[in-house]
Amino acid sequence: MAEAILTTLRDTWSGYVEGLRLVIPRLLAMLSVVAAGWVIAALARAVTGRALGWLRVGRLAERTGTAELLRKAELPPAERLFASAVFWVLFLGFLLAGLDALGFETLAALRSEVGLLVPRLVGALAILAVGLVLANVVWRVVLLAAVNSGWPSARLAGGAAHLLTVTVAAAMALDHVGFARPIVLIAFSLVVGAVMLALAIAVGVGSGPLVRRLLEERLARHGRSESDGSSHL
Amino acid sequence: MSTILSDELLSELMAVGQVDVLVGLPTLNHSDSVGPVVRAAHVAFNRELARERTALVNVDGGSTDGTPDIVRDASIVDRETLVASQSLRTGHRISAPYHGVPGKASALRTVFAAADLLQARAVVVLDPEIASVTAESVVALVRPALAGEADFASPAYARHPLDGPLVTQVVRPLFRAAYGLPLQEPLAGEFGCSGRFASRCLDEPVWESDDLRLAIDLWISGMAAGDGLRVSEVGLGPRRLTARPRPAVAALVPQVLDALFTSLRLHEARWTSLTRGSLPLRRSTRPASLPEPGTTVDAEAYAALFGEGLAALGPMLERVLPSSILDALRAAAAPAGSVRLPDELWAAVLLELAASHRHATISRDHLVRAAVPLYLGRVASFAAEVEGLDPEAADERLEALCRNFERSRGDLVARWTAPAR
Amino acid sequence: MPDDLWYKDAIFYELHVKAYSDGDGNGMGDFPGLLTRLEHLKGLGIDCVWLLPMYPSPFRDDGYDISDYCAIHPKYGTLEDFRAFLGAAHERGLRVITELVINHTSDQHPWFKEARSSRESPKRGYYVWSDTDDRYRGVRIIFRDAEMSNWAWDPVSKTYYWHRFFSHQPDLNFDNPAVREEIWRVMRFWLELGVDGFRVDAVPYLVEREGTSCENLPETHEVMRELRRLMDAEFPGRLLLAEANMWPEEVRPYFGDGDQFHMAFHFPLMPRMFMALRLEDRKPLVEIVERTPAIPSSCQWGLFLRNHDELTLEMVTDAERDYMYGEYAKDPVARLNLGIRRRLAPLLDGDRRRIELMNALLLSLPGSPFLYYGDEIGMGDNVYLGDRNGVRTPMQWTGGWNGGFSTADPERLYQPLISNPVYGYQAVNVESQRRQETSLLNWTRRIIEVRRSTRVFGRGSIEFLNPVNHRVLAYVRTLGSERVLVVNNLSGTAQAVELDLAGLAGAIPIEMFGRSLFPRIRERPYVMTLGPYDFFWFKLRWL
Repeated sequence: MAEAILTTLRDTWSGYVEGLRLVIPRLLAMLSVVAAGWVIAALARAVTGRALGWLRVGRLAERTGTAELLRKAELPPAERLFASAVFWVLFLGFLLAGLDALGFETLAALRSEVGLLVPRLVGALAILAVGLVLANVVWRVVLLAAVNSGWPSARLAGGAAHLLTVTVAAAMALDHVGFARPIVLIAFSLVVGAVMLALAIAVGVGSGPLVRRLLEERLARHGRSESDGSSHL
Repeated sequence: MSTILSDELLSELMAVGQVDVLVGLPTLNHSDSVGPVVRAAHVAFNRELARERTALVNVDGGSTDGTPDIVRDASIVDRETLVASQSLRTGHRISAPYHGVPGKASALRTVFAAADLLQARAVVVLDPEIASVTAESVVALVRPALAGEADFASPAYARHPLDGPLVTQVVRPLFRAAYGLPLQEPLAGEFGCSGRFASRCLDEPVWESDDLRLAIDLWISGMAAGDGLRVSEVGLGPRRLTARPRPAVAALVPQVLDALFTSLRLHEARWTSLTRGSLPLRRSTRPASLPEPGTTVDAEAYAALFGEGLAALGPMLERVLPSSILDALRAAAAPAGSVRLPDELWAAVLLELAASHRHATISRDHLVRAAVPLYLGRVASFAAEVEGLDPEAADERLEALCRNFERSRGDLVARWTAPAR
Repeated sequence: MPDDLWYKDAIFYELHVKAYSDGDGNGMGDFPGLLTRLEHLKGLGIDCVWLLPMYPSPFRDDGYDISDYCAIHPKYGTLEDFRAFLGAAHERGLRVITELVINHTSDQHPWFKEARSSRESPKRGYYVWSDTDDRYRGVRIIFRDAEMSNWAWDPVSKTYYWHRFFSHQPDLNFDNPAVREEIWRVMRFWLELGVDGFRVDAVPYLVEREGTSCENLPETHEVMRELRRLMDAEFPGRLLLAEANMWPEEVRPYFGDGDQFHMAFHFPLMPRMFMALRLEDRKPLVEIVERTPAIPSSCQWGLFLRNHDELTLEMVTDAERDYMYGEYAKDPVARLNLGIRRRLAPLLDGDRRRIELMNALLLSLPGSPFLYYGDEIGMGDNVYLGDRNGVRTPMQWTGGWNGGFSTADPERLYQPLISNPVYGYQAVNVESQRRQETSLLNWTRRIIEVRRSTRVFGRGSIEFLNPVNHRVLAYVRTLGSERVLVVNNLSGTAQAVELDLAGLAGAIPIEMFGRSLFPRIRERPYVMTLGPYDFFWFKLRWL
């Protein structure tokens, strides 16, 4: 009996040691890959940050209003954010490669899934980022045009344009990731439809005559001469 | 190497040879208005400049409405003028396309190149959109350079003080603050100059710049502030523009502001380093102010637009104007329906806008559009200020505004040259 | 800011003090008289005046035999007169260079008198002595019409002394440090007075070595390098101009690495200009310019048509010399010392067009031009006056008493005026030509003005276009982005020429005198027509 126990223990421990003997090199390999990945990702972050600074991306972000948005969201400035994104994407890639080095099949499967997801995620983030910038630009353009044309509720018009653009961008981003597609589609349609309906009601029904009169008064006040600015020269 | 002068134009210039007076006429689809301008130049050549060697050079940007043919065929129509006109020399009238991006900048560059090659003593550039061009006005613009008295002759039009507020409230005072040159019409589309001035402009390296296309008229006026140049102002009568549709105020104001600020940027080395005071101008008799304004100013509507614009564009304006100025503007907007924008505040606003444009604090296009309500507020304020005053007294107020801007020159240079906020 | 390379843009004017203007009425030109004529030089557009020797001298070689280096010949005035003239010239922006005749002195110079007095004299080593005339055998004789040998017997010290020129001009011994020190003292004397530089006479002959031609020896360059170094250290911006009648590649060493002479005359070019004109063929001219080696960027060639000497034909082949004699000096009396002793206008038969063309070449080829006094009005010469005196006659200022040169009796003049009906002072004088807008004087003033409007002529490179028509000499001068096209018709008949200007396609030629526009240059050959002896200078602009 004692011998059986000893044999079992011996076999178990030798198996265990054998397992360790197999795993430890892989673990070391994984750690070295992750460490190297961290260094490379950090370097890339530094280089990206420098490059973006040299390209004056910060100024561009200020001018387009993106910087303001980021400040409101308590996010770091645009160039740091982007550099961080570069860091994390690269580091994640090395992390997955490191996991691969461990040789576990389940992990390999997970890595494949993540590997497929990450590019789409990056794409979605890019779509969202572009959408946010565009929304800001659209907001300004609509607002300025409305103000300078004497349009009533210029702020409402600018805000609506901004909301619409952000909604479209968000929907496109979620669709790109493939996340709950039917729900996203329905929600998007509802939001856009509601905005359009509200505007239609505001202009055509109920306060339609009031709005119409206001518009006419405004336009009459400007007079035909304001359609020709030569008197200002 | 790209050329300024087309072969067609060059061969015509060769035939002309040296001239005393060159009249440049840039056109692009001006068939409706160019005829009288050409006739005015023709009468000027034949009557007042009969002994001089003259040439009319029409540089066309590719008209599709027959403008060059009209230029070539336009002649003196009334018998009386025909009989009285006796030029001693062969008249030269050239119409040829110019190279480069269609626009006044390329056209003027071609005119200056022609003037340089023909060694013109005096050059006059006419604007086909000005309907009030006469032979007398052409000669008036030619004389200072022809007599060797000036290198640049700017027109001064008879106006009512309430007319042309974009010029009187914005362009004129800021131009004066920057260059120390008290021109009445820095934005005039017509002017006279010496051959020397034309050559100097031609030698500037900015002709390929996109910015120049926007700001050519103001850039030319800014060149007149250059070292060693003599500037004169010539009194012409009231100015009438042709009946062409022009941009609405909402589009015109941003255009002019963009041009003004861009021209300051193009010339920044020149005007930021000036240490002298106001340049003396040779002036012919300043035309008397017109008794009545050309159009009425709807001060109430402008004041309302000013208030609404200020409110709606607050977040945007916070990026370009200091809070003290913004608060002062908000205070100026109350009580609603009226606005009092004093000279000092208006000068501060324009200076900040100019500097923000220079540094592109926000998109330049957005900045100049955001300035429209502020401009309308200033127009309303000025209209209220001079209500009841006679034109001479109102003119005095305009002069006071310009002097105010001159006093702010130091601030303008400091803000312009400081790093971006 | 002073321009140390001023000589690259300068127009030089050579004159003889004795021949220019007499201020004291003794029949010989002097410094007071010369001072009164500075406005003429200024008006002409001259930048620098080169004075022929004005030092005390027995005048056996027209002043090139110097008996006192640090004084002014009494006939020309005093040192004070010279100072006054120099000051007046500088006030008008005119520079002045003088002669530095250092190869030899007059035998009347105190140095030589002392040197010959005894073999133990401390000055003995200042000159080159020999007990026999066998040394330096085979060295050529320069004044072969006047001398039989380069050695002369000195009856005083009973030895021979070396002389490359006239026998009364013993050569200094530059192997002697004391001689070099003396020369530097002489230079310093004049530089301190304010002269702007020196034309160094007969520089190739300074040093002798057995078994050589005794010309252009390395030791000569050492001497010049030393003098240049001393001058630059104390008097920067002054000029050293070499007179070295050699082939261009032999003159090249005199520039050193920009550490010897600033300038040197281009002797071989001059006869070829005359030859090209007579042959109606650009070949001799193009060949010599293309043969001319590159020189340091701070250095410059000096170009000239005529000067105080004979039109030298040393630097041509025998066949070329025969041709030149046959065309330009049919009368042997005009020939002297392998050259032709005539002025510019008589050489060109008084043909205004040829005179203009030659001046145009002088002013447009690479180098700084030297005008000889009187050539601006087309003065004539007198070949019967002996030696080279025929081209050194009094300047003709007016048609009146002594041509306005002097108030003295005509018989008292140092030399008679030219008085024949064609070139005489009554017909050819400054005053008449000043009043006539189309005169040669006014034309010369205008062409100098046009030349001065650009630096490309003095500082630019040259590229010959070689059209099939050999009568047309065409070249492009380039300096940075500036380009000038020069086209010359060397023949007496109208010519048409096709020029390959593809490399300049797009440019507009603007004729520089009237600023007329010519058709734009294209890839295809550019056809031009020129009248007899016509020339064009085109500024090329890309517009």
